[in-house]
Amino acid sequence: MNAPAFQAKDFKSDLKPIWCPGCGDFGVLQGLYRALAAIGRPPHEIAFISGIGCSSRIPGYTTAYGFNSVHGRSLPIAQGVKLANPDLLVVVAGGDGDGFSIGGGHVAHAIRRNTDLTYLVMDNQVYGLTKGQLSPTAPRGLQTVTSPLGSLEEPINPLLYVLAYGAGFVAQATPADMPGMTALIEEAIRYPGFSFVNIQSPCVTFGEDDQQLKAHKAKMKTLASLGHDSANQLKAMDLARAYGTELYTGVFYRNPNPPPTYDALIRLRQAEQSKKAVPRNRILDAYLQK
Amino acid sequence: MTTRGIDYDRLTLKDAFDLAILVEEEARDRYEELAAQLTLHHTPAAAGFFTKMTGIEEKHRQQLQVEREKKFGSEPRSIQVELLYDIEAPGYDEVRAFMSLGDALRTALASEVKAHAFFTEAVRNVKDPDAKALFSELCEEELEHQALVKAELAKLDPTPNGNPNDYSDDPVAL
Ligand SMILES: Cc1ncc(C[n+]2csc(CCOP(=O)(O)OP(=O)(O)O)c2C)c(N)n1
Ligand code: SF4
Ligand SMILES: [Mg+2]
Repeated sequence: MNAPAFQAKDFKSDLKPIWCPGCGDFGVLQGLYRALAAIGRPPHEIAFISGIGCSSRIPGYTTAYGFNSVHGRSLPIAQGVKLANPDLLVVVAGGDGDGFSIGGGHVAHAIRRNTDLTYLVMDNQVYGLTKGQLSPTAPRGLQTVTSPLGSLEEPINPLLYVLAYGAGFVAQATPADMPGMTALIEEAIRYPGFSFVNIQSPCVTFGEDDQQLKAHKAKMKTLASLGHDSANQLKAMDLARAYGTELYTGVFYRNPNPPPTYDALIRLRQAEQSKKAVPRNRILDAYLQK
Repeated sequence: MTTRGIDYDRLTLKDAFDLAILVEEEARDRYEELAAQLTLHHTPAAAGFFTKMTGIEEKHRQQLQVEREKKFGSEPRSIQVELLYDIEAPGYDEVRAFMSLGDALRTALASEVKAHAFFTEAVRNVKDPDAKALFSELCEEELEHQALVKAELAKLDPTPNGNPNDYSDDPVAL
């Protein structure tokens, strides 16, 4: 057997994570290193794009290209990166606040364009970095520094949200099941098109006790054990409705016939248009003829 | 602890060495990471103990590596255990900023117990007699390690020194 081209440690940078000891993001990062080793692409062919938040620090902890950008703007930047260099493997990482609060408007457009990238959301139902404010995925009634009497809002359901906009690959994972999570990250990266993994990654400092990894271990159920057929989009939506009450892990939906990606269509269009290209000194003529 | 992907029916002595080396390697790297986390988060006693554990796990790894080389030279590894997780390494959620030295010792003890359970299971499942003998030896060693950690724990003042969940040392927002 040939030795694998890359090992997990090849993707680990020298920068030491400053996350709180015990944070769920450590497990996610470790799973990500191993998933990348399994994919086998060298670090210089990979770009990590993030917004702002504890989870958004991930690009700095990898040896791949990285851009720890602006709060909520990881997806527009990632799409630009992919279009500028379609050969790059683009992974977007961030938090529930970054992705579904300030950046929520971008998710729909990234999905409907079907740009070939993987979006990993570390969902801890809280704003970790800014010290425990209410996040859009926090359950109704949650008391936080910005909802001291309990939240009056219904949470966003990230799974249903992305399924409703037609994402081709939708999964949920938790670092309470490291091999399961690693395999899902790998599968999402390999999916040709927009792929989304909601990773329940506990915040030990501001998160709730029933959202910690020990609680996950007790309550998680794999979709495979329920006999779920991941090609069934309607059933996936039905199961996704249990977000916040059940902890289902695995692939909710995988489009069995992935449509062409935006980046592939752009390349085709560029090839078509470049045939019609006129020399620079005749560009003006092309307009004057009309 | 997860061990998806290990085929005990076909596991040879060389594979058993490689598996044990990987287990030690993972534990070494994890203790190193945890020590770095706790150093950064002002928890020097626990960090110091995890640094000591890093050295111990590395020593075990080297001993196994020497034995493996004596028997199999530099023959390449043929097991695929990418999905082997947390056998002797403490889980990431086992540590907290400001955890006491006692808690750090208890974390390591729990990991030695996990490792013992893993090798006991391996002895039960593996078919190759030489591999079985190696796993039995490792089982014994894990019991010795447990005894060492318990002895360290016995030396500590048993008065509980607070719940680390009452304090935090979270990252600063940018
Ligand atoms: C435009 C802008 N608004 C607000 C902030 C402050 N801010 C930084 S991170 C963050 C939320 C982080 O929460 P989340 O995305 O869930 O990440 P986590 O820290 O929980 O991983 C906020 C509101 C900012 N940096 N920029
Ligand atoms: S504040 Fe929460 S999310 Fe941020 S590093 Fe600490 S535990 Fe992790
Ligand atoms: Mg968050």
